[in-house]
Amino acid sequence: MRTFVDAIVPILPEVIVTITACVVLIADGLLPPSQRRLVLPALTVVGLVLAFLGGPLAPPSGQYFGGYVQVDTFTTFFRAVFILLAAFATLVAPSYLERRGIAPGEFYATLCFSTVGAMTIALSTDLITLFIGLELMTIPVYVLAGMQRRDRFANEAALKYFLLGAFSSALLVYGFAWLYGVSGSTRYLDVATELQRTGIANPATIVALALVTVGLGFKAAVVPFHQWTPDAYDGAPTPATAFMSVAPKAAAFAAILRVLFIGLAPLAVDWSAVFAVLAAVTMTGGNIVALAQTNTKRMLAYSSIAHTGYILAAVAASAAGPSATAAVLFYVFAYGVMNLGAFACLLYFDTQGSRGATLDELNGFARRQPLGAFAFFVFLISLTGIPPTVGFVAKVLVIVPVLNAGYAWLAVIIALNAVLAAFYYLRVVVHMYMYDPDTGAPMVVNTRLLSAALGISAVATVVLGVLPNSLYEWALQAANPLLP
Amino acid sequence: MTIDHVLTLLLAVPAVGLLPLYVFRNDPRSVKQVAIVTTLVELALSLVMLAQFHAGEAGFQLVEDASWLPSLGIRYLVGVDGISVLLVPMTTLLTFISVLYSSGGVIKDRIASFMGAFLVLEIGMVGVFVSLDLFLFYVMFELMLVPMYLIIGIWGGPRRIYSTLKFVIFTLAGSLLMLVAIVAVWLMSGDEGSRTLSLPELLASRGRFSAEFQFWVFLAFGLAFAIKLPMVPFHTWLPDAHVEAPTAGSIILAGVLLKAGGYGFLRFALPLFPVGTQLWLPVIIVLSVIAILYGAAVSTVQKDLKKLVAYSSVAHMGFVTLGIFVLNAQGGVGAVLQMLNHGFVTGALFLFVGIQYERTHRRLIADLGGLANRWPLYTTFFGIFVLASLGLPGLSGFVGEFLVLLGTFKFSGVPLGGLFWGPAAALGVILAAVYLLWMFQRVMYGPVREAYRNLPDLSPLEVACAVPLLVLTVLLGVFPQPAIAIIEPSLQQVLRLATDPGFQVAFK
Repeated sequence: MRTFVDAIVPILPEVIVTITACVVLIADGLLPPSQRRLVLPALTVVGLVLAFLGGPLAPPSGQYFGGYVQVDTFTTFFRAVFILLAAFATLVAPSYLERRGIAPGEFYATLCFSTVGAMTIALSTDLITLFIGLELMTIPVYVLAGMQRRDRFANEAALKYFLLGAFSSALLVYGFAWLYGVSGSTRYLDVATELQRTGIANPATIVALALVTVGLGFKAAVVPFHQWTPDAYDGAPTPATAFMSVAPKAAAFAAILRVLFIGLAPLAVDWSAVFAVLAAVTMTGGNIVALAQTNTKRMLAYSSIAHTGYILAAVAASAAGPSATAAVLFYVFAYGVMNLGAFACLLYFDTQGSRGATLDELNGFARRQPLGAFAFFVFLISLTGIPPTVGFVAKVLVIVPVLNAGYAWLAVIIALNAVLAAFYYLRVVVHMYMYDPDTGAPMVVNTRLLSAALGISAVATVVLGVLPNSLYEWALQAANPLLP
Repeated sequence: MTIDHVLTLLLAVPAVGLLPLYVFRNDPRSVKQVAIVTTLVELALSLVMLAQFHAGEAGFQLVEDASWLPSLGIRYLVGVDGISVLLVPMTTLLTFISVLYSSGGVIKDRIASFMGAFLVLEIGMVGVFVSLDLFLFYVMFELMLVPMYLIIGIWGGPRRIYSTLKFVIFTLAGSLLMLVAIVAVWLMSGDEGSRTLSLPELLASRGRFSAEFQFWVFLAFGLAFAIKLPMVPFHTWLPDAHVEAPTAGSIILAGVLLKAGGYGFLRFALPLFPVGTQLWLPVIIVLSVIAILYGAAVSTVQKDLKKLVAYSSVAHMGFVTLGIFVLNAQGGVGAVLQMLNHGFVTGALFLFVGIQYERTHRRLIADLGGLANRWPLYTTFFGIFVLASLGLPGLSGFVGEFLVLLGTFKFSGVPLGGLFWGPAAALGVILAAVYLLWMFQRVMYGPVREAYRNLPDLSPLEVACAVPLLVLTVLLGVFPQPAIAIIEPSLQQVLRLATDPGFQVAFK
């Protein structure tokens, strides 16, 4: 018994989230339908809060489960990110699920399972743990995307996401196999030791590197492996989109950091140049296509690709040391807060028969729902990268390592991309604030919980923008385990 | 009276005012009172700040320093010197006048948001002039952008959306490149762990900036400031923004926002990058003279009254950059005086164009005429400001432009020499007289139109808005010495830094 407890304690947060998912499923069966609407999200949030608090109870750092799992400051950082994102998605979901007739028990449980998967990725020290975490995270997300069984767009979203997801998982696992073939181990550290000895010269290493890059590129939605994103984001239920657009992406970057910065660290010179080009292509591609969108949900989907590009730029700047890793972590956190908020704002427009919100549906939103519009405004300003918001600080922190690593051209591309992005983000503000509302435009009712959740994250967006130091310190600490 | 932390208080007062503004948001009367009181307190506070300032000293005063982002060495560092200390009260006065004028009934829709935007704008404007850390400066520089975007876009004229997007995209394009340059400066400022963005420390370590580095960084900073100022050929956003902006927005845009560009050159670009300054100086001087002549020529042919004043701003700001980049005391002091003068006078011109538009709903010069017969008070005020704008001796416009021209004549570090560019710029002064007096004649004299016969003259509120500007215009014109005494020592300091012989390394 004692050994069992000792074994479980290090992964206490993951265990609590798993139990929460099970409890939600059981409660779903036991509760009368009228009570499910609010009791289930409440249970989910309580479970997530307990998991959040359980983090510090776990032993501070070390390797567990025969070395397959590692708890360190990096893990703690991502645990907190994923739990916060899941809790936020839970808070904004109830009235949407009710309107759309989605079974709440399944939704919250699936969300929790996906969160456990994402957290597992941050725990990984081994390609096998990583792959288990990745699949545990993405399979529930396929389900989330297709939860509106009778909606043909949701079906399209789920199917596209599933097929491309399965394809990319296959590529990734194939790449892992080559990596194992090259190095004789699945441990990141052993892989690194072996690669340190052999270098890039071996053709098999190049194959492995290419496959892993493409596989992880799919998961993070890097151009040109991004085609699944807009349709999947567009067709999924909006609270799920909000979660999908941030948590799997954050997890993909956790994976990229663990694999590239530890396992493939000896080849950093080779992959960082590739990532610099991918970053430039990704941010520019995402932004240019986003410019042409008239549906806000699709616009945000493409813009999330652009943000992948900014984060990727910091990954490419790995030569700059801890400031690069910390920039990735800070950006991931900032992106989580602001992008989840922005997607959640679309819930105000979720009326019968609407998919996302066209720009015209946003007309005069500031008059109808001043606080909701202001929250959306704050998220958009932050996504653009204008102070005093967390998005601005995140952009600065990305530019720091990019310049430091000698990629001045990439820094200029980031700046020009932010101008492009300003154009379509601010166009949303134009529709909300500068046009009069169309008469008879349908309006969602019962938005108190949504407004409260949005209020909190809008305040967080500004506060972290004005006082970013503690978050940055935390990101720097979390970057420590990745240093050679 | 001495108040500690007066600069921080100046940044805090508008923020505090936002709270009651939100509480009373549904009661227009209270909203107006809150906004007026807040901006009045801010104005009084800025005068206290001015009184606490010791004229004749070159260095920064009333400095406050606190750690802000210690892991990056970024500080909350504020202070004023002779260059900025006069721009702060100018800002608070123009904001107060804008708020006062807007509470007279011109803004009917969403007045609480309007006033809120002005208070946030005021934080940004005051912040730009008192920031001594580049990061803080950038935050404040951008903080001015969003409220103005909303002010033009929500309360502006028919083409407001096109204009406001153009304004934002232009400004952002410049400032984001400056952001990259700021990060580059931070990286060059020291070794790992000792990097900084605070101006005094950067001045101490500017020897680390190579000539090539200064060339590129100056270009990025210069682009941001040139767009804000705006310099030809980056000025095309300005006429659009001005024409569509509500009157109060135009006053602030012309009166304060443009100064952020000129001020940025003096505060950061010149002292930090002396080699960059030398390398780019000929380009800027030529562009300045082009701006003076082009702005004047385009003003002459404008049919729209507001556009005419907007283009005249381009010409006037040309004098500012010209004065700054001839790198001598006359030119520099003239440039700062010209910034002050332009703030008061062009602010007033936009105010009067707005007052006129509120009554006639016409902005085309051809639709106006004969107003002098009906509005004696308006004509007197407007006439004085027009004369000040064209640089009549005895009014504020003359002093700045005269000093700038004097400085230009003396300057030889540019192809063709000051004896070519000085007279060329002087031609702009003559052209200013042509387009301003011709405009005044067409608008104010001639037969009065039937429709305007019963329109009222200035209201007491409008007179209250105009009088402080008039007093300052006359004071600066007749008695500029106290202002010059405040500006000169700090300006000499900037020039010493910018022309440091240790940095004359030629760039090949």
